[in-house]
Order: sequence, then C-alpha cells, then structure tokens
Amino acid sequence: MTKLTINGKPHDLAVEDDMPLLWAIREAAGLTGTKFGCGKGLCGACTVHVDGAAMRSCSIPVSFAAGKSVTTIEGLADGDKLHVVQEAWIAENVPQCGYCQPGQIMATVDFLKRNPNPTEDDIRNGITNLCRCGTYLRVRKAILRAAAKMAEGAA
Amino acid sequence: MNNLMNVSLKRRELFGWGAAAGALVLGFHMPARAATATATTAMNAFVAIDGQGVVTVLSPFIEMGQGTYTGMAMLVAEELDVDMSAMRVVQAPHGKPYQIMFNNTARFTGGSYSVRSAYLPLRQAGAATRTMLIQAAADQWQVPVKELRTEAGVVVHVPSKRKISYGELAPQAAKQSVPEQVALKAQGDFRLLGKPTARLDATEKSTGAAEFGMDVQVDDLLIAAIRHSPVWGAKVKQLDATAAKKLPGVVGAHSVHGGVAVVADSYWHARKGMDALKVEFDSAPHGDFASAAYAERLKRRLDETGVSAEDEGNVSQALGQGAQQLQADYSAPFLSHATMEPQNCTAQIKDGRCILWAPNQAADMVADLAAKISGLPLDAIEIRTPFLGGGFGRRINMDYVAQAVELARAHAGRAVKVMWTREEDMQHDHYRPMTLARYRAALGKDGMPMALHITNVGDGPDRHVFPEGITKTNLDESVVEGAREQPYAIAHRRVDYVYEQSHAPIGYWRSVGNSINAFFKESFLDEMAHAAGRDPVEYRVALLKDQPRFRNVLETATKLAGWRGKPWQAADGKQHAMGVALHRSFGSVVAQVAEVSMGAGNKPVVHKVWCAVDCGFAVNPLLVPMQIESAIAYGLSAAMHEEIVIRDGRVTNGNFDDYPVLTPAEMPEVEVAIINSGEAMGGIGEVGTPPIAPAVCNGLFTLTGNRIRSLPINARGV
Repeated sequence: MTKLTINGKPHDLAVEDDMPLLWAIREAAGLTGTKFGCGKGLCGACTVHVDGAAMRSCSIPVSFAAGKSVTTIEGLADGDKLHVVQEAWIAENVPQCGYCQPGQIMATVDFLKRNPNPTEDDIRNGITNLCRCGTYLRVRKAILRAAAKMAEGAA
Repeated sequence: MNNLMNVSLKRRELFGWGAAAGALVLGFHMPARAATATATTAMNAFVAIDGQGVVTVLSPFIEMGQGTYTGMAMLVAEELDVDMSAMRVVQAPHGKPYQIMFNNTARFTGGSYSVRSAYLPLRQAGAATRTMLIQAAADQWQVPVKELRTEAGVVVHVPSKRKISYGELAPQAAKQSVPEQVALKAQGDFRLLGKPTARLDATEKSTGAAEFGMDVQVDDLLIAAIRHSPVWGAKVKQLDATAAKKLPGVVGAHSVHGGVAVVADSYWHARKGMDALKVEFDSAPHGDFASAAYAERLKRRLDETGVSAEDEGNVSQALGQGAQQLQADYSAPFLSHATMEPQNCTAQIKDGRCILWAPNQAADMVADLAAKISGLPLDAIEIRTPFLGGGFGRRINMDYVAQAVELARAHAGRAVKVMWTREEDMQHDHYRPMTLARYRAALGKDGMPMALHITNVGDGPDRHVFPEGITKTNLDESVVEGAREQPYAIAHRRVDYVYEQSHAPIGYWRSVGNSINAFFKESFLDEMAHAAGRDPVEYRVALLKDQPRFRNVLETATKLAGWRGKPWQAADGKQHAMGVALHRSFGSVVAQVAEVSMGAGNKPVVHKVWCAVDCGFAVNPLLVPMQIESAIAYGLSAAMHEEIVIRDGRVTNGNFDDYPVLTPAEMPEVEVAIINSGEAMGGIGEVGTPPIAPAVCNGLFTLTGNRIRSLPINARGV
C-alpha cells in the first residue's frame, strides 16, 4: 500500500513498493495521460512532478512518492482553465502524434519555474525529452510563448 | 460536375457506422468538447451530423501525427460549408466503402497517399451531404432549391432570410435520394483548402485526453508482457511457468507469434511474471546472421548485373568513354522505426465477435489477420483504431496484433492488451534494409555526365511484406525507387538491383527506398560536380534545363538559403558551409540546403535547413512545414546517429541509450517555402526525409573535404 496525493486527491494504492511510479499512476490510479516510452528514464514521455519537481516516473519506485504530492498532465489545468504552457502548446500547434507531449509539457512547466525568462540555448540545454515526430522547433516556440505570457501575468 | 467515382455514398452501405457508434460512445478521438448526446444521423459512409450540427467524419486514414484527421475534416467541411470548430473525426472501420485508393481497391495509411487519395471522395461526400440538406430544407419550406444557399452549418432561404441548421435538417436530409453527381467548388472559391488551418487534435494531445493504444481501458482487462525469441524464427523449446504463475496477478503463460507471453492483471505483474518465466528457444536457421558479415556479402556483389530497373542508351559503352571516370561505393545501415509508443494491441473475443483496439496503418489487413486467427468471419471483426504514437511505416506489420488475437482466444471473453517494452520494440522491428550501392559515371570534357550506372545491393520491404508483387520480374521496386527515373539529363543511364537476402525482418521506413537512394544519388551528383570543378547548384541546374519544375524547386531553396558554395567564417567564429540536395518522392519535389559546421568532439552541427517543396497544391499550408520539419528531424536523426547492429542473429541495440536518436538540442532551424505549382498533388508526410542526409553530407564535404559515403555520420566519423 502506498499513500500519496495525485493531482490534489489522496490515493491509497494497493501496489508493491518496487512498482515504478509510472505504472501506479497509469494502472492503479487510472490516469493514462502519462506515457510509457522507454522504461529507463531516457525519453521523458513519463515525466510527472513529485513535490513540484519534474521526474521521469518510469524509473522511480512508487515508494519514493509515498506521502508526496504528484502532479500529472491531467492535473495541470485549473478546472476548465488550461495551464499557460498547455495554451502555448495549442497556439503553436505543437503536437503531431502527441505521444511524448504530456511529458514535454510537464518538463516545460518545471523548467519555466526555474527559468522564467529562458533563452533558446537555455531551452536546448534544459529540455531533453525525445520526440520522434521532430516537434522540437515548435516545442521551443511554445516555451518562449508561455514564458512571455507568464512574464506578462507576473508584471 | 464530378462523377461520384463509385465512392460509397449510398445509405445501404452505412454499416461502417455500427463500429463508429461504438467509437463515439467510447470517446475515441473525440476532442474535449465531446459530441453531444443527441442522435447522430449518418448521411453516407463518411459523414454524420448530430442534432447540434456537429459533423463527424469517418476517416479512411489513420492519424499518426501527420495531421491527416485535420486534412479529412477540411475536405468535408469545405464542400459541406461547416466551420472547422464543428468537425470531429473518427477512424473508419475496415471494409470496402473506405478502400478509396487505387480505383477503390485499397486502403492503407502510407506512401504519403492520404490527402491526395481523399481529395475528391471526401469532398464529394461533403458536397453530396450539402445537396441533400438543401433538398430537405426546400421540401420543408416548400421553396425552390435555387433560392437556398448554405453558410457555416445552416441553410438560408435568401428571399425570406429564414435559416435552419444542419442539425435540425439531418434526419430528413438522410431520407433524400443520393445525388448522382455533385458539383465541387472551383479552387478559387475555397474557404478552407489552401489556407493555414489549426490541427483538430492539438487540445486533446496537450491535456493527456488523447487515447493511444497503450491507454485503452476495457472492463476486466488483462495485460500481456511479451518476450520474443531473441533470434528470429526460433520456436519455443521449453516453457516452464511454474514460478511465474505463483506470482501475484499472473493468470497465464503462452507461446505466441514470435515468442512467449505472460498474462496478468496489470502490466507490472505481467513483467515480473515474465522475469520469472523459464523459457528456452530452439536454435534458429539463421542464428549466425550479423550485420557486419552481411555488409561484406553485399560488398562482394557490387559488380554483379542483377535485375535491370532502368536501362537507357548504352551505359557500358558510354562508361568507357569521356574525359573522366568516377566510381564511388555507398552504404546505409539497418534502421529501426523507434516510434515513441511501443507496439501494443488490445483484443477481445466475446459473443462470437472479435473487437480489436489496434494501432495500425491498414485496418483491412488487421481484419483479415484477426479473422484468420480467430476463425470468425470478417463481419464479426470490429476494429477501433486509437491515435498512433508514431507510425513511420512500422504499423503496417502486425505481429503485435497477431499476439493479441491469439491471447484473446486463449482468454475468451476477456480483453487482453499486449504491451511491448522498448527493448522488444527495437529488437523486433521490421527494419529499413541495409543497402550498398556502387555508382559509376563518365564525364565529358565539359565535366557533364554522359553515363551513370547505379547498382543497388540488398533486400527490400516489398519482398518481405508484399512478396506477391515482385514474383514476375524479380524486381523489388521499393529498393530502386528514387534511384531510377531521375530528372537529370544524362543520356546513358542504368540502374541494376542485386538481391541478397536479409535474415533480419525488413519493413517500410518513412520514405522507404527514397531515403536510401537520395543519399547515394545526391551525394554522387555532388561528387560529379566537384570532379568537374563546378558549383553543385549550378551543376544541377545545368542538368535540369528541360525540367522546369525541378529547377524551380532547387532555385527556390537555394535563393531562400542565400546559397554559398564555399565555406565561410560565421558569427560564431567557426567555419560554416552549405550542402544541397534535390529529390522527388511520392509525387512531390523537394530541395534542401543545410548549413553545417563542426562542433565539439568532431561531431557535425546542423544549424539550419532551408527547404522548398512542390507538392502541387498544399491543402493545409500550416501542416506542410510541420511535416517537413518532422521529416527532416527523422532523416537527420538517422543520418547522424542511427544504426541497428546485428550479431549472432539478434539485434544488439535495445533502447535510446544504445540507439540514440536526434535530441532537441540537435534540431536545426527549418525554413520552408511551399510552391503551389498546380501539378498533380503529391504527398507530404515523407517527402522531406530523403534530401536531408545528402544535403548535410554534401555540406560537410565542402567544409572538411571529407566525403561521407557511409551512414551514420557519428559512428563512421567525418
């Protein structure tokens, strides 16, 4: 049994301690927006936030998240109001196949918290999630758009 | 007026909506603003309208990132006069009405065929629906049809300004007779087609709501982990599931197509069960297959004649003449597709029906396979296609579907989801074939080529996937596409193909033979230009004097780039250089200029790619550049990094650590010029891939003087 909070809701998951957090989220909590891509933390499709920090959930055991607060792509919006990063993604028409995009978005939200005013080079170095559709350019544009929007909001 | 070309617009052929209704209920592909619960009226095989005026299109083609659902919606919405915000798209089931390719004989998502294949039929479906809606309004109001017009989902009676919505009219409209012929809009009247149009699926793909095969949830679902025989073709010799079955949640262990499966109540339990499974595979007939040894075998055959794919003039005679003879050998490695979503499929056999949630690129092939394995008739097979987490040709092969149906049979009544790991996916792909080629040319005194002789050696996807197509001539056209039928004015040309069997499975990889042959051909063009002491662009232009379409594409790209034939010192203090390549594939002509430099660790850096594309008519000029960016990323990834290495009959790579792919930091800027030439429509999903490898390698030659003839660049060095 692991007690943790996912997207603000307490969960008591009947899973083994060594189960990767990814599978606890997808199968035990039934939230399938977080994707399985490589199982080794190499691609980032499984990125979620644990206590606010982006982590690749395929490579950390669910026990690590016990008592902690996990946010997934489903928990990013505030009710019907999408997160500014999601809005930027839609405005830039980023997704192609879309499979890696929840991970890209979760990585970006955390990245922008640490780098509110990123340069293109910051983005190149800071976002390492893989995408086989090659949406990298539009990901970059969407990050810049979201950063500008957030700066506007903060001003 | 356009004939309806036997496209199925008759209501008696509406059986497809049975499965679609299921899809609607389950919410497949339905955007966040889901369809309303009001009754939906099927107007024909492709179009349905609900009471709120929401229009659902049954798409014959599958959405795997290329944006085809947006394209299908645009085609219908243009003729139907509906705003894109009212459009929804779901995947059509298998069956004849959706076989709209090649004179209504086929349907698959590949070959960059989707939008050009649907261009008339889907518009006709929209136009026929509109005609029936107008007729229904005329009947209801007792007014002549000529007093009616349509706008954004309503019929307007012009004299009285009365309006009625499509949603209200649909049930009566569906009872109207289907028009024998419908007029389609002239291109000049298009409201949507040719205009940048946002993707329909961007929202659901940015919120986690989009459902992929991996995400399919069915009551009472079982999960299967798969372990394939590491060596292709080996049968299971011994299977001991005693320990596995003692583990929590494990309900079964089975031999399946290609290997073994452990079935459990969750993925993690299935995986742990698999770890505990004791399995011994028999020896396989080709357990010694190795890519390095295969490359040596191919190399030894480069001088053979093989099968002729093209023979113009007298090459052997002309090669002996001329002022200069050139010869170069090239090679391209085995490649994996590495879709971000590993292979998976869910199947359920219950009450005499087999339902599949199958990521696929050809629904009819899935249905045939499921019928064969389940023993059920085709009309008892139901296919629900979720979004594909990438396709690139991988999901034409259906090994994972076979496994799911076998396991659904073993666990009758239960739905079973087969989920491959990344390692299984990479080691049991259907690879782009390793190919070697010898290029020989004779140049005249003016440096221009008199003769060109190409010999390709290797295996090809047609022979592996659709072998019935090549028995007569023994020519695998997928191996020589892009090598023959070149636009360049060369009097004596020959293309030969020497077949050498690969014991690694071969499949279709984005742009197929074109991706290989464009690298060889455009590199050699560059070699010829340099041997002649001519600028590579000017040399190509001279060879294209009777090919205005190709010349225009090439010149558009080089103008966009501000072509520089010599290296220069760039703002970063480093030497930069440009390379160029031109290639036609899938009916479209593409030229690319790549700006390169050398970075840390003697690794090349690609700064920017300028691309001109003539696809005849760009239906969605917003999506065309996206597909070009995507195709460049895919091709550049392969050119720089990718190589499947096979030893002892098995693939040695397993994940993104030992099969690195293009990273975000390596992605060049891309600038695209679209040329709407009015030529026959070409494809767009693959056509950007072939030119990138030669454009980069040609630039690296100008920069360093080293000619790259073997890929990937980073493994072989510059």
